[in-house]
Amino acid sequence: MNSAAALKGVKKEIDDFRLGPIDLEIEAGFVTALVGRNGAGKSTLLKILMNLVKQNEGSVAFFGQTLDGESEDWKTKVAYMPQSYPGPLPFTGQELKKLTANWHPHWDEQWFQQMVEHFQIPLEKKFEKLSQGVQQKLKFALTVARNPQLLILDEPTSHVDIPSKKQMIDFLIDWLEQEDSRTILLATHQVEDIRKLADYLVILDDGGFLGKYDKDELTAQYKRYWIEGNLPTATVPGELERGKGVIATKCARQAEDFLRKRGITWSSAVPLELDEVISIKLMKKKNTALKS
Amino acid sequence: MKLPIQLSKENPAPIYHQIEEQMKALIASGQLPAGTLLPSIRSLSKELEVSVITTRRAYQNLEYEGFIRTIQGKGTFVAEIDASLKKEVKVSAVKQAIEKAVETAIRHDYTLEEIEKMFLDVLNGLKAKGGKADE
Repeated sequence: MNSAAALKGVKKEIDDFRLGPIDLEIEAGFVTALVGRNGAGKSTLLKILMNLVKQNEGSVAFFGQTLDGESEDWKTKVAYMPQSYPGPLPFTGQELKKLTANWHPHWDEQWFQQMVEHFQIPLEKKFEKLSQGVQQKLKFALTVARNPQLLILDEPTSHVDIPSKKQMIDFLIDWLEQEDSRTILLATHQVEDIRKLADYLVILDDGGFLGKYDKDELTAQYKRYWIEGNLPTATVPGELERGKGVIATKCARQAEDFLRKRGITWSSAVPLELDEVISIKLMKKKNTALKS
Repeated sequence: MKLPIQLSKENPAPIYHQIEEQMKALIASGQLPAGTLLPSIRSLSKELEVSVITTRRAYQNLEYEGFIRTIQGKGTFVAEIDASLKKEVKVSAVKQAIEKAVETAIRHDYTLEEIEKMFLDVLNGLKAKGGKADE
């Protein structure tokens, strides 16, 4: 496995918020989606990676090399799209493009223009005068056209209209297709981004690292069964909920063995939707808190 | 290009297996002739809303069985396959569909004799219409 980015034992405290400890490997050639509620620490995690926020403990590495504060090598290989730029930006899109292009040796002007045309971004306008959605599109084009090895995107599709969201995903797919080792790490609240782009899911819950999951393996384990006849009286492995004739589980394989052993049959078994699975993952902590 | 693959959530077969079976059927039926350029693993993953891990596995198995081949730097193409292999895939696809129908009937508590009669009814209905299924 080739590592595009790695966090080792990363911890950060900001007032009463605690992030970590986080040990995470972002595999090269894959798309990893970072999900969690608002305030879970997703943006902070990305900023730690980009050296914009200093962690209290732990280390960050890009492409197998631990950052020691002096190496600048990674900066041309990693492009980051923040949720918002720090402070007001008194520049037009055209000026921002010139600045960005000058700083980035792999800048792809043709591709930038293609995105600007597709999204119909008025480059002559001041950045601050643009609507939130258009600002987002411009930030996206300015980031992706740097042509890095690793793209780190903080909620790239928020505030963006439906056709442009779809187009953003397609631009990212085109970009990924050009080289096997291209990698994306994105924080997102959009289920569609995760469905169409992600290979892995990383879930953060209130600063805590819940885990990294293979998207398809995760969803294959969460299933709802329509039981024929009576429901078993005993709890089914991984049971999440039961209703009239229906049982949901997070351990589909074990649950099926359990039901078969008892001669219980089902008329259909349907995997839970991805957003439902994520919601369940993020509810777990609350439930255990209630029980104790 | 878009492939007419549809994954079924209720199908207990793993997703990579569903992709494989449907690709084989498309190739054996001639809908995807030899030499057709297939979508990249990444773009097929987007279309099917699955991870590249799943799609790659399906492509690897198809390549191993000789249905497709990858040319470095050019992409993945439908391979030339033997008539006998084509026939095998076709027969197995039809048999699987019939098995599925029979399973449904069994779930509805019909006996095998009753199912046989239903099957013949369907066939006779089709014969009366001139041997073509409704499109």
